[in-house]
Amino acid sequence: MFKIFQRFWQVNWAEQWQYRANLLMYLLYWLVSPIIYLAVWTSIANTKGNVNGFTANDFITYYMTLLIVDQITSNIVIHTFAYKIQDGTLSGELIRPVHPMLTNALVNNIAFKGLTIMGLTPIWIILFFLFRPDFSNVALSGILLAIPAMIMGFFIGFLLSAAITALAFWTTRVYSIHEFYYALILLFSGQFVPLTLMPKLIQDIAQFLPFQLLIYFPIQLILGKLSSAQILQGYVMGVIWLVVSIAIFDWIWHHGVKRFSAVGA
Amino acid sequence: MDTLKLLSAFLKVNIQMSLAYRADTVVNILLNIMWLGWELLSLSIIFNNTETIGGWGFGELIALLGVFRLVHTLMIALIWPNTEKFNQSIRDGSMDYTLLQPINSMFLVTFSRINIWRVWDLVLATVLILVGINITGDTITPLHLLTFILLTISGAIVIYSLWIVLIALTFWFTKFDNNVTILQALLDAGRYPVTVYPVWLRIIVTFIIPVAVATTVPLQALRGDLNISRILMFLAIGIASFLFASRVWKAGLKRYSGASS
Repeated sequence: MFKIFQRFWQVNWAEQWQYRANLLMYLLYWLVSPIIYLAVWTSIANTKGNVNGFTANDFITYYMTLLIVDQITSNIVIHTFAYKIQDGTLSGELIRPVHPMLTNALVNNIAFKGLTIMGLTPIWIILFFLFRPDFSNVALSGILLAIPAMIMGFFIGFLLSAAITALAFWTTRVYSIHEFYYALILLFSGQFVPLTLMPKLIQDIAQFLPFQLLIYFPIQLILGKLSSAQILQGYVMGVIWLVVSIAIFDWIWHHGVKRFSAVGA
Repeated sequence: MDTLKLLSAFLKVNIQMSLAYRADTVVNILLNIMWLGWELLSLSIIFNNTETIGGWGFGELIALLGVFRLVHTLMIALIWPNTEKFNQSIRDGSMDYTLLQPINSMFLVTFSRINIWRVWDLVLATVLILVGINITGDTITPLHLLTFILLTISGAIVIYSLWIVLIALTFWFTKFDNNVTILQALLDAGRYPVTVYPVWLRIIVTFIIPVAVATTVPLQALRGDLNISRILMFLAIGIASFLFASRVWKAGLKRYSGASS
């Protein structure tokens, strides 16, 4: 099994490396909105002193951490996989004795991540000197606690995206469904603003949804803002959602593949 | 005259093309309304916590959202589909046929594809601008309104010209098929007044990828923030950027040698 993953890694790394210019453009594209939110909220905090207890530095550290966390937990599976179902090229992968989504697509995403993080590092350092965040409250224990949370968040996000991607077995409008899903992420994950500044109703719903596990929970862990009860609650939610997303993905994939009749075959 | 006739022919073809995908159009409009809802929600969250950002109030931000959506529509309805076609034509050499047509090639390349249902977005944008102005309660003088309209048009021309330059670069660097991503990336900065951004970001979105010229500047004119010399300067920038872009396009065409030869 290890050898299989190693091979997939070599192939996918080489493939992603070939598109490094595209990748840099993607990175730039993805960077802009967190930086805009950062600028908007710090400008408000600076004029008012604080926003509901959040100082300018709280916002700067939040979004600077978000850049890293989001890069680790997000995925691009819809863009690299849905078209394979639509144009039928998936058939070549289906006859292999390994799961196309859980080997090739998964490793492809991780290779993509590796490269974007390489690209992000120098940009992050430049932003660090431009915004001068004060990270003195960050403790090593917080970072160590956040690492398993981010890995868990990545897998929950990957499985849910993979499940949506697999809807391409039924519908051609899978990209529209994914757009809707992305709006849910914006609303409930803490990407736009720390969740505590969202309307009460959204906060209450967000607590039970998986999206905050991808962004808000790891960020708060790193910044050391959570009590041990909250940390425990976050991890419990994480494990529950991991199980649920495995079940959802497995069900959709299983039924989808049965429906699949390759184009042109 | 020929240009107008051609434009109406393009419109007709594109309407027919989108009528073939009616259900998609409905889905797209629903998603569009969803994003509008999100944009309004995010503004209301911001203004729950403050009265002004960068010196601008809620109504002004709604109006700015309207202007932003005009530029965004330009991007989605015109720039993306035509760029896709253009990049393809450079790769496979079908650009040859475009150049053989007895009509201005720049016009042909930039207007042949129009994502027609997006016209509805223009209506929405206009409504947002009117509602926004209404919320501010400011009385708008006809002169301010006129400069607003002129600067909106000239801002759109600046974006259009930048687009021409970006795609013309493909004549020199054939592999540059990410040509408009940078424009799209920085476009989002147009949602908020540039006065909230740190200086370095303000410089980028005003001078390098001048999104602000098409979003913040027209609204400043509407607020009466701009004096006459500023207004004339921005109008001159609009004209100059168009002339510059046509020059770059012509120079680029000379570099074009076809894909197969």
